[in-house]
Amino acid sequence: MSAHLPATGTLLLLLISTSQAAENGATFDREQASIFLRDYCLDCHGPSNAEAKLDLSLLVESPTANQEGLTEKAALWHQIWLRVKNKEMPPTDATLPEPPERSAFTEWVYQELHQQLCAGGIIPSPPRMRRMNRSEYAGTMRDLLGIQIDAGASLPDDGAGGEGFDNAVETLFISPIHAEKYLDSARNALQYAFADSRTAEQLLIAEPANDLPDSTAAAKVLEAFLLRAFRKPVENAELMHYLGLFNTLYEIEPDYRDAVRQTMEAILISPQFLFLIETPVQSEQPVLLSDYELASRLSYFLWNSMPDERLFELAAKGELSDETVLVGELQRMLGGGDPPEDDKRQRSRRRRDDRVRYFAQNFVEQWLGTRALGRTVIPDPSVGSFDSELEGGMKYEPVFFLDYVLSQNRSLLELLDSDYTFVHRRLARHYGIEGDFREQPRLTELPEGSHRGGLLGMAAVLCVSSYPHRTSPVLRGKWILETLLGTPPPPAPPNVPPLPESGQAQSASSLRQRLELHRQNPACAACHNRIDPLGFGLENYDVLGRWRTEDSQGNSIDSRGELPDGTSFSGPEELKQLLLDHKDDFIRHITKKMLGYALGRSLSLEDTCAVEHIVQRVKSENYASHSLIFGIVQSPSFRYKAGTLPAARVPLEAPSLSVTQN
Amino acid sequence: MRRHKPISRRTLLRGGGVALALPWLEAMKPAAAYAATELPHRPRRFAALYVPNGVRADMWTPTGTGSAFELSPALSSLADLKQDLLVPTNLWNRASEHGDGHYVKTSGWLTCTTITKSIGIDVSCNGVSVDQIAARSVAGQTPLASMELAIDPVSTGVDTNVGYTRVYGAHIAWAGPTKPLARETNPRLAFERLFRLTQPHGSQSQRDLLLLDRVLEDAKRFRDHLGSADRSRMDEYLESVRSLEERLQRSTQFGGTWQPLASLDPQQIPPAEIPDDHQTHVRLMLDILALGFQIDATRVGTFMFGNSVSGKSFSFLDGVQGGHHDISHHQNDPEKLRQYQLITEWHVQQYGYLLRRLRAMEEDESNVLENSIILMGNELRDGNSHSPHNLPLLVGGRAGGRLATGQHLEYDRDTPLANLYVSLLNAFGVPTDQFADSTGPLPNVLTS
Repeated sequence: MSAHLPATGTLLLLLISTSQAAENGATFDREQASIFLRDYCLDCHGPSNAEAKLDLSLLVESPTANQEGLTEKAALWHQIWLRVKNKEMPPTDATLPEPPERSAFTEWVYQELHQQLCAGGIIPSPPRMRRMNRSEYAGTMRDLLGIQIDAGASLPDDGAGGEGFDNAVETLFISPIHAEKYLDSARNALQYAFADSRTAEQLLIAEPANDLPDSTAAAKVLEAFLLRAFRKPVENAELMHYLGLFNTLYEIEPDYRDAVRQTMEAILISPQFLFLIETPVQSEQPVLLSDYELASRLSYFLWNSMPDERLFELAAKGELSDETVLVGELQRMLGGGDPPEDDKRQRSRRRRDDRVRYFAQNFVEQWLGTRALGRTVIPDPSVGSFDSELEGGMKYEPVFFLDYVLSQNRSLLELLDSDYTFVHRRLARHYGIEGDFREQPRLTELPEGSHRGGLLGMAAVLCVSSYPHRTSPVLRGKWILETLLGTPPPPAPPNVPPLPESGQAQSASSLRQRLELHRQNPACAACHNRIDPLGFGLENYDVLGRWRTEDSQGNSIDSRGELPDGTSFSGPEELKQLLLDHKDDFIRHITKKMLGYALGRSLSLEDTCAVEHIVQRVKSENYASHSLIFGIVQSPSFRYKAGTLPAARVPLEAPSLSVTQN
Repeated sequence: MRRHKPISRRTLLRGGGVALALPWLEAMKPAAAYAATELPHRPRRFAALYVPNGVRADMWTPTGTGSAFELSPALSSLADLKQDLLVPTNLWNRASEHGDGHYVKTSGWLTCTTITKSIGIDVSCNGVSVDQIAARSVAGQTPLASMELAIDPVSTGVDTNVGYTRVYGAHIAWAGPTKPLARETNPRLAFERLFRLTQPHGSQSQRDLLLLDRVLEDAKRFRDHLGSADRSRMDEYLESVRSLEERLQRSTQFGGTWQPLASLDPQQIPPAEIPDDHQTHVRLMLDILALGFQIDATRVGTFMFGNSVSGKSFSFLDGVQGGHHDISHHQNDPEKLRQYQLITEWHVQQYGYLLRRLRAMEEDESNVLENSIILMGNELRDGNSHSPHNLPLLVGGRAGGRLATGQHLEYDRDTPLANLYVSLLNAFGVPTDQFADSTGPLPNVLTS
């Protein structure tokens, strides 16, 4: 398997010049690329019979083809690269390139493409301007008001765009129902906060007194509140605006607290609260974010909520963007280090900053698809009991796991394989792990032969990649390709030929045999040769992710798989090893996902420049999770906002934040 | 930037506290209760119910045409409703033919347009859905312009397999090309929303208006600094604030004209938790739709039994095992076809449930069903082939006598689906002869 991997394994594309590449033995050029396309692609994707409406002769036969850069048709080249690299193209019944020829071609395309795309740096995104999504709203209300209820529970749920997350600017639509729901939610949350003397005191930092007129007291309260609600310094006009509302309300009914509360209601339905807004740039060139803007980008990335007091303070002093300060803040935000010794006097304080768990949850559940568990994915009773306790344990396992990997700066490769996981009582029983467990999931060292460790041993993952009533090697194989490696197979062709019903198929009782018949059709084989074997490697797990050696019909499980290049493996342990051989694909994919999440938008081909830069760093720093986070935060994509010149670039180089791995 | 009728509240508010501090609640109330005669009798309603994953195709089409038709096996549970039904066949949605097997068809089901292939950045349905055209024609007559209900939350993520964001699979109602409407999935919250509409607003409405007013002004001040794309995003929100403001103004407190046509029984409140059981959940949501129509909270609604490509387990039905989407890819396996049929029948039964509920809601000399147009259908015919030809569609209710129900109407092959929408809009009261790619109204749908 690893034989053809150097293509991606040595992706130093940003740094390698063509001549260096030549020295490394990749003596490929544009002309040879044309020959490759002509020899292997044009039979089907030529001018006369452009299958899939793809005519590649334009890349080969136009008089200027060999002089043009790849960026002219960047998306097309990228598509070719992906399909050829994944061996989906050419199909198995066509003339196939030898492996070295294939990898020379794909390596060349990737390097050329990126060298051309990334010349001059990266293009930052426009200033952010989007509403908070439902979970950001809930987190922000919680931290702003100090309440422990889900203030966003009644808001409509949000779809996702871009890299697959519900914080993408492009899919945060607004419907007429929103204003009404925001008003209700703000009212309920504020009533809740004002009913509790502890939270009320924190909001009402001033009360009218003899020497403090009502309006002055209210001004103090509102000024402090506005800064935190709007996440920026308060302009006097803004303060006056809302103080004016307070005065009006107070005249109607002279109840100080009530008038303040209702003024706060208005603030909480203001777009300045509901939207994350960065100041538009007047100049042509991109500019650095302000410190307040940076504080919000950081907090909505790593906490799924608003900045805290300390971030605001640092922003006010203009110190947050100082690289040393920023490193310290990132470490604090990630909640690293052991919880302090339990000190009686400090018992009420947070043991460690655990807000990174909100990020872990939102990221991991959407990345892995486990959010659907218990919502749209509900296993059938026939496969076993799926109660809410089990559901909770299943859903929290990957969340606690990622939280731990991030806060303890563990290696990202532990997501592929680890000797620990997080289980609570019910899940431990489910997995057959012995020990003393409670209702809260806790870190558990895995005994020898537990068949757990890494995402692929997690019940939630195994369940959302199954049908409700049976496992599916196809779905699980697809899940691995799409979710872990970032190389999703293309859609099945329309009108899939049915599995043969008579003769052979009748006797082909097992799923494996039927799928093998299916793959005899070359149209199916190109993709299913990649998909199915991976899924078979997980057949020892049932729909609920329990270990089994026989399927429901009593047939013993055969978990062997053989990939198109001849690599074979058996069972999940060897499958994990195989994925570790592909670790760079995995790292590239999680980097892409996380950068997309951090920026709250879909990535374009240009963004792969930033992605590759971060990937190199993560690799050189031993896959430490903080390398990824710091790499993202330090990327110009994260720190700059675009000016009025849409194509203006920022150089990729930036001072390095140092990471120490535990 | 529509501004509602200049109700004197603004002047009042600006007038200062004295006028307001006095019993303005009573002062603003009209002397007499609203005369029921001012209300349009028998408002017409329109709802579209979406079923994902196609139907068992060979069991759908009735035999015989016109009024001499026999219900097909799939429709047999609707026997008592036969005279309230129209079964149009052979319609298709050309615009949704290419793209992919599901998303392009789901989002385009009520728009008859081709959506833009996108994982997010340029989501657009490139049209307006027919329910929203209907809603616009009665804008302002009810507190809610329309009601969007669903069972599944919007699935997160993008379908990298086909290159569409799953947002498309969760929306049939589009107020504009880039305005998919958010849906309610929690029956309790949806009920409370309706219930609140029927209650007197008291002083809270007045204060809400104060707050909303302040917020709109605040927004106006910095809106001008934004770029045009951001500004339009902001405007969408401000529009939603304004529409809330308008609704409050229309409420009884301010001399508005709206009154609920029936009262809501607070005892009917659904459980706080969304039920696990699919059928219970579906029926609660259909109840909400029926109640919303009955009290005249809205006259337009949509409901999605599931999102596009729904893998919902139907093992709760006797004789079915597995997920909806998987079973719909039956590959002509007789066992899967049998299960597919059971799932199709179940959906038709739920449709029957809604129609009977509406029929039981008396309204003057008739009932709500008589005054409604309840469309149910699917964006494709057979889940195995994903073809948008000969779509499975049902129309129930008579639109106040305008629909010539009790017929199976078989049209020429590939008659535009949009033609049906033209006729339904006409029945609803929108005098149009065109919708999306229509070529005219469908013959024989209307009574006159």
